[in-house]
Amino acid sequence: MDFIGLYPTWYEPGIGSGWVVAIIATVHVLFSHTAVGAAILFAYLSTKAYREDRPELLDYIKKYGLFLLIFSYVVGSITGVGIWYSTTVASPRGISALIHTFVWKWATEWVFFVIEVVGVYMVVYLVGKVDKRTHMTIAWVFGLASYATMLIIIGILSFMLWPGKEVWFVEGGYLNGFYGSNTFAQLAMRTAFMLTMTAVVGGIVAARIKDPAFKKEMSRKLGWLGIVSTIVGAALFQWYLHTLPEYAHLVMQNRLPDYFGPSLMAILGGILVYFIATMLQPRLLVTWGAATMVVALLVFGLWPEEVARESIRKPWVAGQYVYSNQVIGRDVPGLGIESEMPRLEAHGLLPLHPFLPEELREVTPENVARAGEAVAITMCTNCHSLSDTGIRPIRRYIGDSSDIVAIKRYMKGSLGTGNTMYMPAMPLKDLEFEALAVYLASLNDPSVVARYQAERAPLAKVQTTEDK
Amino acid sequence: MDANMLYALRDPAGLPFYPVVFMLLSVLTFALHIFAVQVMLGASSLVISGAFRADPHWRRLASAMTDVAKIAVSVAIVIGVAPLLFVQVIYDPFWYTSSVLSARWVIGFIVIMIAAYLLLYVYYFSNYRADTSRTPRSRWAMLVSLALFLVAGFLIHVFTSQMLHPDQWMQWYAPGGDLDTSGASLHAYNPWRFGFFILMAVPAVGAWLLAYARYLSGRADADLGYLAFVNRLGARLLQVGVPLVLLLGGLWMATLPESAAGFGTSIWVWVALAALVAGGIAAHLARGDGERGSYLPLLVLLVVGIVIAAAREALRYVILYGAHAYDFMDYKVNMDWYSTALFFGTFAIIGGSVLAYLLTVAWQAGRTVGVYTPSPAVHRMGVVSIALIALWIVQYFVVGFVVWAR
Repeated sequence: MDFIGLYPTWYEPGIGSGWVVAIIATVHVLFSHTAVGAAILFAYLSTKAYREDRPELLDYIKKYGLFLLIFSYVVGSITGVGIWYSTTVASPRGISALIHTFVWKWATEWVFFVIEVVGVYMVVYLVGKVDKRTHMTIAWVFGLASYATMLIIIGILSFMLWPGKEVWFVEGGYLNGFYGSNTFAQLAMRTAFMLTMTAVVGGIVAARIKDPAFKKEMSRKLGWLGIVSTIVGAALFQWYLHTLPEYAHLVMQNRLPDYFGPSLMAILGGILVYFIATMLQPRLLVTWGAATMVVALLVFGLWPEEVARESIRKPWVAGQYVYSNQVIGRDVPGLGIESEMPRLEAHGLLPLHPFLPEELREVTPENVARAGEAVAITMCTNCHSLSDTGIRPIRRYIGDSSDIVAIKRYMKGSLGTGNTMYMPAMPLKDLEFEALAVYLASLNDPSVVARYQAERAPLAKVQTTEDK
Repeated sequence: MDANMLYALRDPAGLPFYPVVFMLLSVLTFALHIFAVQVMLGASSLVISGAFRADPHWRRLASAMTDVAKIAVSVAIVIGVAPLLFVQVIYDPFWYTSSVLSARWVIGFIVIMIAAYLLLYVYYFSNYRADTSRTPRSRWAMLVSLALFLVAGFLIHVFTSQMLHPDQWMQWYAPGGDLDTSGASLHAYNPWRFGFFILMAVPAVGAWLLAYARYLSGRADADLGYLAFVNRLGARLLQVGVPLVLLLGGLWMATLPESAAGFGTSIWVWVALAALVAGGIAAHLARGDGERGSYLPLLVLLVVGIVIAAAREALRYVILYGAHAYDFMDYKVNMDWYSTALFFGTFAIIGGSVLAYLLTVAWQAGRTVGVYTPSPAVHRMGVVSIALIALWIVQYFVVGFVVWAR
């Protein structure tokens, strides 16, 4: 029998593996976007420093750059690798799909990463050690290389949500997967908001400028950058929403927490007020104030945005063909990929999973709870915690019930058919649904397992005798 | 776990080019990555040695090596992205399984790396403006930082070791038949293999010091006494380091698992051994005299590193193909010429040109007393660099809009 390519599962009962990924990704977005935006800001400031002979602008670049070395090039770069690591352990087939489709694109991004890392050290440490024209040249190399990294990752992020063109499923081809309406809309929106982040974070450094006139100038520069990019970003966000498929809108309307919308509006409004205030009164630009704005941006802006981006592609985790539970749920003839659903339907999950003990290949009264737990771990824990804490605890969906028959009917109806929005189809065998129901019921009442075994064991014996 | 199961885990999307090319890139980039790691570990050790000594040369060296360690971490991380990418591409069943089985440690690796790097910066910012004659502050931060980097290195060693034991995966994942989904355990390691790669830091930093002395000797304000000290220390580290890693390499080969029986006496090991011995002798002979130092030992060790990386890859192949019948060479190929050409074009043309410009400026600026102003030729390299990246960005949009509109 052909196995399906499922890996072992990492189940983190405290907060859930999905949230581990989300936390690392959100932190990384702040640091990486700020780095790219700052690189472009440095190119602009360095050019101004060269043309107008303004050494104080280079001094600002040096201080902001030193801050960035820790902010973006320690925490940012390590959390960048961290996204790979966390998705590897939380969703190995999801990241594998992206890696195998876009390996050359990631390798190309890596070339720009190397340039970027060399560039940032030179932009920071060669201030005053090379002439201003050379510094400007280095700053432009650094800025453009940084932006190139963004251009690449946006295409991969767009594919993760939805392959660029529908024809990709049939013909394959990297270009068809990479480029689509969402790619450009997302790129435009992120470009704007990365400049917002750059302006907010840049305030932490500008707040420490001693010369009042220069502080005023930098407050205004950062203020205008922040205000314009926030307003443009908000407009581009509408374009981005417009490029999302209808299904994603349905998920947004029905599945996202109610506070997400108001939270995003509040942070955008708050940023505008903040920048207007610091422009009018540079004394208001203080380190703790700017740092508070950075944290607010992270918590009230980036967290809802990243969680929403994760949510609107459900039940898929990558390219609309890998389900969040790691099963391949759709044919992609362009790459010779076959859906695993027919095999699941024919044989069930337990015989096909490479990483299950032999004694769990078949559901029996003796192993029913363990088999059910194995099904739950494999099919559910990417998105649902089996404990009371963490991501979408699964007990919420069955209430206080320990009625095995009712739970089984509910699971078969909602999951077996594949008709539930946001959820993958799970064409399990009848006994596997039963085992899952026993396990879920046991979360509310552990004694149901013994009762079930007492009732079913004699029946199983009769069945075995008849088989003989 | 039999071959049938291993092949089932392989990604059905296939590869966009021939698998052997990804393997070669993996070897090359791993060699560069581990060399940066070794320089970082060696430099950090010298920082600690200098920070606890009163000798002014040691103090000055410690200050310089703080910068080296700080930058080497960045370089190690950024270059390390490439072998991490390529190993996922051709050895996905092994890398993903090994990672999931120790998932908590995989996440821990991120936290440990951030803490280690931040502590390195704590030490740096505590001392970067200070007179080197003063006792450095926050020495504890450097000690803890190095210890954490070693822990992080050990974790990566475990993840790569676990890849080589598919026969034991089920015992690790379901001991006694019960699924262990915690990812809390570390299952396989070889202290000699880990020690071999870590202690390569001794000759690596020795060669680095010789190159550093050679570089500084070109400055008009070079301190000859200090350079002679650096040169002596570098040569000594090379002399001690090469036999040390030979010993550890021997112990590693002697303790290979049964699945790699015979590899210890294979041509790969003899070639690596010969490279190490020849490299050690060549580096010693080329160490330079007095205070001048030499670049050659560094280049020799880089070549030795590539040979060792190739032997390491051969060992992986021997185990996974020989003992587990998994051959990455038969990975399905869905050829994609555009993305293949784009990578190699970017790598060779943009990577080559831009890094040549940046490193030329950095090199010259470091050897110049006062402000460095490049020659017109070097400046043109910079203009060309900007033009090349701008051109790349233009092609991104042109191709993108054509595809989008099609």
